[in-house]
Parts: sequence; structure tokens; C-alpha cells
Amino acid sequence: MKRLTGVFLLLIGFVISSKGQQTIGTYLGDESALYAATKQVNQFFRRFNSEEDLKGNRIYKGSKHFRNPKTRRKYLKVLFDNETSQINADAKNGFIAQVTNGASPFFLDFHGGEWFAEVRTKFLYHGKEETAILFMELQEEKVGSKWVIKNVYFEPFVKLFEKEKENKEKFLHPLSHELAFMNLQRIFSDKSEVEEYTANDFRPDHLSLFLFEIKRSSLEFKSVTDLTFHFFQADNWYFELKEFNRSGYNTGWLIANLVKANEQEKDLLRKYIYFENR
Amino acid sequence: MKSLYKILFVILLSSSIQVNLFAQDEVSPERKQAIDSLALEKVKDLGKYISIIGNKDTEFSEANRVIERALELFADGSQMGVSSLSRPDVKYYGVREYFERLMALNYDRVTIQWFNIQYISDLERQPDGKYVGVITIYQRFQGESDDGLKYMDTTKKDITIYVERKETQIGGRIIGFWDVLLGDIRVTETTT
Repeated sequence: MKRLTGVFLLLIGFVISSKGQQTIGTYLGDESALYAATKQVNQFFRRFNSEEDLKGNRIYKGSKHFRNPKTRRKYLKVLFDNETSQINADAKNGFIAQVTNGASPFFLDFHGGEWFAEVRTKFLYHGKEETAILFMELQEEKVGSKWVIKNVYFEPFVKLFEKEKENKEKFLHPLSHELAFMNLQRIFSDKSEVEEYTANDFRPDHLSLFLFEIKRSSLEFKSVTDLTFHFFQADNWYFELKEFNRSGYNTGWLIANLVKANEQEKDLLRKYIYFENR
Repeated sequence: MKSLYKILFVILLSSSIQVNLFAQDEVSPERKQAIDSLALEKVKDLGKYISIIGNKDTEFSEANRVIERALELFADGSQMGVSSLSRPDVKYYGVREYFERLMALNYDRVTIQWFNIQYISDLERQPDGKYVGVITIYQRFQGESDDGLKYMDTTKKDITIYVERKETQIGGRIIGFWDVLLGDIRVTETTT
């Protein structure tokens, strides 16, 4: 109950703060829900770290309000999707306790790595609509930074390179070299199963194939359809950030999934997200 | 409006004469505030231009003149990415195309109302040295025809701003100033 009161007071704070905003035109009435919404990923970072006031103004290092642990605990409670994601209450409380721990608090770092974006997109592939999942990372440069495509998952490529689990028929026999590999002629004549003649550890590089198909004009970008961020920055925790476009006060960029995970489990999670161990 | 621009221009100019800001990575809080104000003014101008362009009472030649003015606010090649609640796929328009489509809508009355809220991100540096930020605003668009037909939506607009350090020569002296241009705009229909 006490917790709920805290969240309510924070929301009231957002509403009251709206009176202090500068005005820029003809205005509409109640915008309390818009104040409560976490409107940008940037705002998620600031609220997570308690680096902005209730009006959304940046609090800079040196101010007594900068990263205030008390405010952080309040902010963090409203940064979870409390309507659909059903995040375990114990996990949530454990996470908040750890990241606001007085001795060694954890703060999200935009340039700290260990987080990436999963961008669902729609492409036309040989005229047919297909989903491509792009994995994007923020890359630091000599000057500034930029988002780069780190990986891609494209279902048609998976099907194209699916190898038989127990292949006992399609192989190049161990004395092929004595005939100067003349039997290559046979394997390349059957295009559909050429992957069977590759090494056991062969994994097609989807990104290279993807770029090749784009350059050949076989793939045509249509639209972005969904966006998720995966955060691995906090010790022993993984969380997922998504945007919730709905009515009410629990909207915008919110934590949609939270998992306690050690480094080994994080590696497994990363592979799972990248479709490497599914 | 022009005088306000002048004041902001002078503030930005005077606060930056003696410092070589190309070498500087962080924008100070004071300068960030001045840049935010300038960017918000541009966003506000854009709202006004959209009202004029979308209004049937606006002469064709005047609407085209306003489109040219509106385009001056944007960096070259900027796009609008629009999605609605019923159609989540993003539809992409060049800014000129977006304005021309708006002009073609031909409502008898167009009202653009703002929610009294805007959120301005931090400025991040790009590899080309420019800074980039995002301003989020909420608007309600209402188009009404004399025959009673009405279209209304509320949208969240995430507007890219590019902030660039430039130099100009005044009276033989090279003076630096900050230039703000609008970039891509993501328009999302909301339930508000």
C-alpha cells in the first residue's frame, strides 16, 4: 500500500509540474498522462538515473538533486510496464534495491555498451513481404558515436541453409584430392543441397548475405514495425525496454521484461536473442 | 518573431566568440538551454506553417511560398515517418511531399492545437562533429469541411534537431555561432 502511495504521489508530481512548463501556442487541456509517459529512451535513461526533475528538465552533476537515491527509488517503480508484462514483484524489488544500493549504486550509461536494439522491419524479398530483424549497436567513433547494424536475422536465409542433422549420403569422399576434386562438378550441379558439403561449424553470415541481396536489388526496405532494446549493463540483471502506446499513466518506454542472470546466463540470453541457439 | 530570433542569435553568438567550440565535446547547460529555445521556436514556426498550408482559405501561391519557408527549417533530405493506430507500418514522405499532400487535403478549417508539454533530449555528438537531439511534442490536428466532415487525430511528434557550429565574417572578424536545423520527424498517432 505504501508503495502504491509512493507511485501515486510521483504521478501527482508529474501533473503538478505541468504548470511550470513554458508555453508555445494554442493549448489543449489535461496533459497529465503525457507528463507521466516516458516519452523518449533518453528520458528512460534520465529517470532511471534520476538526472531530471519532474518537469523533464535536466539535472546536472553538481546539483544536490543529481542522481538522488530517494528520487531514484520512486522513479524506478514507474519505469516498469505494470499492465501487461507481469514482471515478478520480487525480481522488481530486488532489482531496484540493487541498482539504488547506497554503497555501489548502478547507473545506466548511454555510451557504456552492453545494450543494443532489436529492430523488426519489413522488406520485399523477390517481391514477397518478409520480416527482417536487425540488431543495432551504438558504436563509439573518434568524434561522437553512431548506430551500426551488427547482425541480422532473416528467416528465408535460415531455410535456405538448413542442413540435414544426420547426413550420411552427401559428402566428398576422403580421397577426392587424388582426383583433383573432380567430384565438385557433381555437388555444384545440385544447388539446393550444396550446404551439405560444408564443415560442421559452418554458420552462414546473414548480414553479408543480406547486404548482398540489397545491393542486387532483391531486397527492398518497406518499414520499421517494432523496436525493442536489450540491456545487459547491470550486474546479474537483464532487462528489455519497449514502448507502450496506450491510455493511462503507465505508458511510453518501459521495462517489459526483467530477468536475474549471471554472466553465463547472459551469454545464453544474448545467443537466444540473436537466434543462435533456438 | 524575427526580433526573438535576433535576440537568441545574439545570445548564442556572444556566448561563443572566445571559445573554440569545435574542440569541445560537451555543450554547457547554459548553451544547451539557448539551443533548446531556438529549436523550440523553429518547431513552433513549423506548426504555424502547417496550419497555413492545410487551410483552404490560403491562396495556392501563398501556400507554396509558405512551403518554401517551411522547407528552410529543415536539413536537406529530411523525411516524415508517419504511422497510425490502425496502420502501425511507417509510411515515409519527403518533407516537401508531406507539405504538398497537406495542401491537397483542402480542409475548410485546419486547427492545430498543442499539448502544453515538450520533451527535449540531451545533445549527442555525431561522427561529422554536429550535435543531434530530439524534441518530442504532442499535437491535435483537426480538419473540418463546410459539409460537416471532420478528421481529428492526436500525434506524438519526435523531431530531430541538428545543431552545428558555424562561422561567419562580420566586419573582418570571424565570429562563431550555433545553427539549428530540423531533421527527420517521426509521427505516431496516440490514444490521448
